[in-house]
Amino acid sequence: MTYSSGWSVMEQTLVRRERWPGGYTVKGTPLVRPGQEVLADQPVLRLERSQQASGALPQMDEGARESNNGIVVQTETVPAGLRGRVVDITRRGGVVIEGRAAVVRGSIGVGKQIAGVLTMWQSGKMGRAASIPAGALLVVPGPVNFAFLHQALLSNIRGMIASSIELRDLEGFLRTDLISLLASADLARVQDSLPPLTLCLTEGLGTLMMPVHVTNMLSQYQGALALLSGTTSLRHEIFPDLLISLPEQGAQTDWQPVQPDLAFVVGARVRICGGEYEGKTGVINYFFKHQQVFSSGLRERAALLRSEDGSNLVVPLALLARIG
Amino acid sequence: MQTQPYPEDGRRPAQNNHAASANSLMVADCGSVFTKVSLFGLVEGQYRLLARGEAPTTLSAPSEDITAGIIQAITLIEHITGRRLVAEKRIISPEQVTGDGVDVFIATISAGGPLRLVALGAVSPALGALAEQAISGLYAEMQAIPAPSFVATTAAPVSVPAGGPVSSPGGQWTQDRFAMEWERQLSLMRELQPQAALIVGMADAPAGPNSLQEACQLLMQAARERNEQYAASVSAGIPTQDSATKQFSVIYAGAPQYIDAVHTMLQGVADVTRVDSLTSPAQLGPISAAVGALHERNVIQHIPGYDHLRAWSSAAPVATATSLSSLVRFLAQHYAMNVTAIDVGGSTTTIMAAGEQGEFIPLVNSGIGVGSGLGAVLQQVGLRNIARWLPFSVTEEEIRQFVLNRMLHPHIIPGNARELQICQAFAREAMTMTMEAAKNSVAMWPETDLVLATGGILAHTPKYSQVALMLLDALQPRGVTSLVLDKTMLITQLGALATVAPITAVQVNENDAVTHRLGTCVIPFGGLQPGQLAVRVGVEYSNGRQLSVDVMAGSIEVIPLRLNEQALLTLFPAPTVDVGLGPGERARAAEEIDGGLVGLIIDARGRPLVLPTDETERQARLLQWAQALGA
Repeated sequence: MTYSSGWSVMEQTLVRRERWPGGYTVKGTPLVRPGQEVLADQPVLRLERSQQASGALPQMDEGARESNNGIVVQTETVPAGLRGRVVDITRRGGVVIEGRAAVVRGSIGVGKQIAGVLTMWQSGKMGRAASIPAGALLVVPGPVNFAFLHQALLSNIRGMIASSIELRDLEGFLRTDLISLLASADLARVQDSLPPLTLCLTEGLGTLMMPVHVTNMLSQYQGALALLSGTTSLRHEIFPDLLISLPEQGAQTDWQPVQPDLAFVVGARVRICGGEYEGKTGVINYFFKHQQVFSSGLRERAALLRSEDGSNLVVPLALLARIG
Repeated sequence: MQTQPYPEDGRRPAQNNHAASANSLMVADCGSVFTKVSLFGLVEGQYRLLARGEAPTTLSAPSEDITAGIIQAITLIEHITGRRLVAEKRIISPEQVTGDGVDVFIATISAGGPLRLVALGAVSPALGALAEQAISGLYAEMQAIPAPSFVATTAAPVSVPAGGPVSSPGGQWTQDRFAMEWERQLSLMRELQPQAALIVGMADAPAGPNSLQEACQLLMQAARERNEQYAASVSAGIPTQDSATKQFSVIYAGAPQYIDAVHTMLQGVADVTRVDSLTSPAQLGPISAAVGALHERNVIQHIPGYDHLRAWSSAAPVATATSLSSLVRFLAQHYAMNVTAIDVGGSTTTIMAAGEQGEFIPLVNSGIGVGSGLGAVLQQVGLRNIARWLPFSVTEEEIRQFVLNRMLHPHIIPGNARELQICQAFAREAMTMTMEAAKNSVAMWPETDLVLATGGILAHTPKYSQVALMLLDALQPRGVTSLVLDKTMLITQLGALATVAPITAVQVNENDAVTHRLGTCVIPFGGLQPGQLAVRVGVEYSNGRQLSVDVMAGSIEVIPLRLNEQALLTLFPAPTVDVGLGPGERARAAEEIDGGLVGLIIDARGRPLVLPTDETERQARLLQWAQALGA
């Protein structure tokens, strides 16, 4: 399933993000200034989180120190995750970076913003510490389950981009009601209560595989540092995404951002995002002048698609999303 | 067509002479899920619907511009009509000699979510209910947060929770208890993220002016936190229409002698609008107008692409509910009958009842719908109430997964008959919840003569009989009523259209909007005995043919009476059964009743409708009723 208006993948575009992985109780100190160019792996922010020594602090990368009055202060240095220019420092200390990137938008996700090295998962490697670098963003082209997520957490994987998951597995892992989670307004509070694994599901709930064009793009960037956010809020219209900085040679003068065109036209590449052909991709061959009747009994405007396996499919326009 | 004053600014838009004499007009209705665009033009001297197009609303990425979805829908109209209506992402206007373009374009909007409002101060249950009533016809949701002093003065003594004493032996609140309540209220403000506040309370209310002072202090503290968040969002390019303004908007309907103090306290924190103090239903109008204006300013005008949309339009875009209320009132007066309109949308369900004497009961149920509103429906009514409408068994996981997928992708249509039935079950519950809320807001709900149904889930339903059954199940009308489906989804547009082109609106309404008449329904109620005769129905067709049908309690029957056919109806209810004139009273219609796409429906299942508790029997009964209606 793709983003609600299509274009789940944009191979090159201009993005602007606040680098702020904390919540209400975190103090941020920027290490850069507006106008400065930053690299994806460059530290841009130092976070400090204080709490009474008796309390359990969320895990942070670096050391903790205890002050005289029993307050434990944990610090963490946060890399940019995105190559580009610092355009602003926010009041809470977040660093706003603008840069050129490839973007993969997820259908649903959870977890805070995290930077890490994109690592393609290969069957059987889970649990072998040497094969997956700590703090990696693991790419799994297929569905995952509760056990897989749990194992990833134990393996110190900070983020994961997978295709889909069954609802019970996701809710079991998060120990929360997903419907309430998506409708919540207070994102910072909600994120604080979740396991420290950022998850982005390209297809959403169920057992669908990741589309080939998404897998191919992610494979192409294996080893690159990327910025992942799992935050999903229907109330705020925020969806998870993965930003991968474009390589230097891609950022030259002939660079043009992709302008997503949502209109359905003959020849457009589309993906079917529901119904019996869900997940298939193809090219629009023809638009029917009159509404067609489908198995649900609904009459809908429809298109004739030439799918990638060569078959002709009649699909309601409402189930199509442009992918290119 | 007579239209109501616009609550957004309290003024009716100036009538546009150009619009009144226009050859062609286009109206876009931007819903939370779909944008519907209709093209109207002159056909043999009458304004008619020429074509309509529908496309997903494009508020979120990658477009983040509401006009992108409008253009997509117009592209469909171009495909159907062969007319060119858009060039270089702008609407061609006025209409060209070639027939391209349109003279007038206007828009209605229900996308963007409701205005989130908190009621602060000395919010007694009575004042809270009045405030709810004031916003009932608007896209607004309100939560009451009474001031701690007010709660302490009016609440019963609280029990002491674990962790320490919070109240003194006499039930008086201690400082700790106040501090706890204060923190709870701040936390609630964080969770609700209100855009506006309504401050109420008179000087002689319990806790007196302290309540008003605490209301201001709460806003000041919440504003401090929100400004930090807002500054971060703006810089980061994160969508900010939700936290639309840096300042709160405050409607002050409290004690008049404290208005200056409130102004002073909230300087730099909130813009304060003063209205009459809220003490009785007489002050509801000004509050409703003020909240409507805030919705326009804080929600509609912050929708991505609003400036483009405004530039295209002959009049300012208005809230869809406002447009619908104009039409419903007009229909009630025009046809001299009680009209109930129901609009089931993706994130809002609306009921509006209007009477021929000017009575008007609106209820906009924000957050309840069959798109992103599915989650709220499930949470509020529970799985059992959804499953009761399904003639098959479902698991909780199936329903929850269905709900989440629909919430994330509300534009996706049901892929098979099972999904369609689950959607229709949710629609029934959304309508039921909204109807119950509307009935609770008034002392007496008027029996309706005409039910007018609109919204995608109803308009796109494959069979007319399915729509009829959904309306009867959910709204449970009694006596004799007519059901009409707005299949072209025009009625939400016509009220707005009437403000710029009233003749067009009236003609389109007559010719195209209320043309899908499902049929007349007879719904006996009272003491129906299962398996016993409920009512004997005598039908005398216009051609002289006569028919007598016995309808048993617990059943539903359809008597053939097609569209454009009329018949005289005589009802002989059982002694304990009422058809609107009292138990056992025979009724004979003075005028012929109209037929419809379904026919003459006799719903003798009883009121309130009670479904069998045994699962097998319930499923069998649902199938039996559906079969009887041909659904």
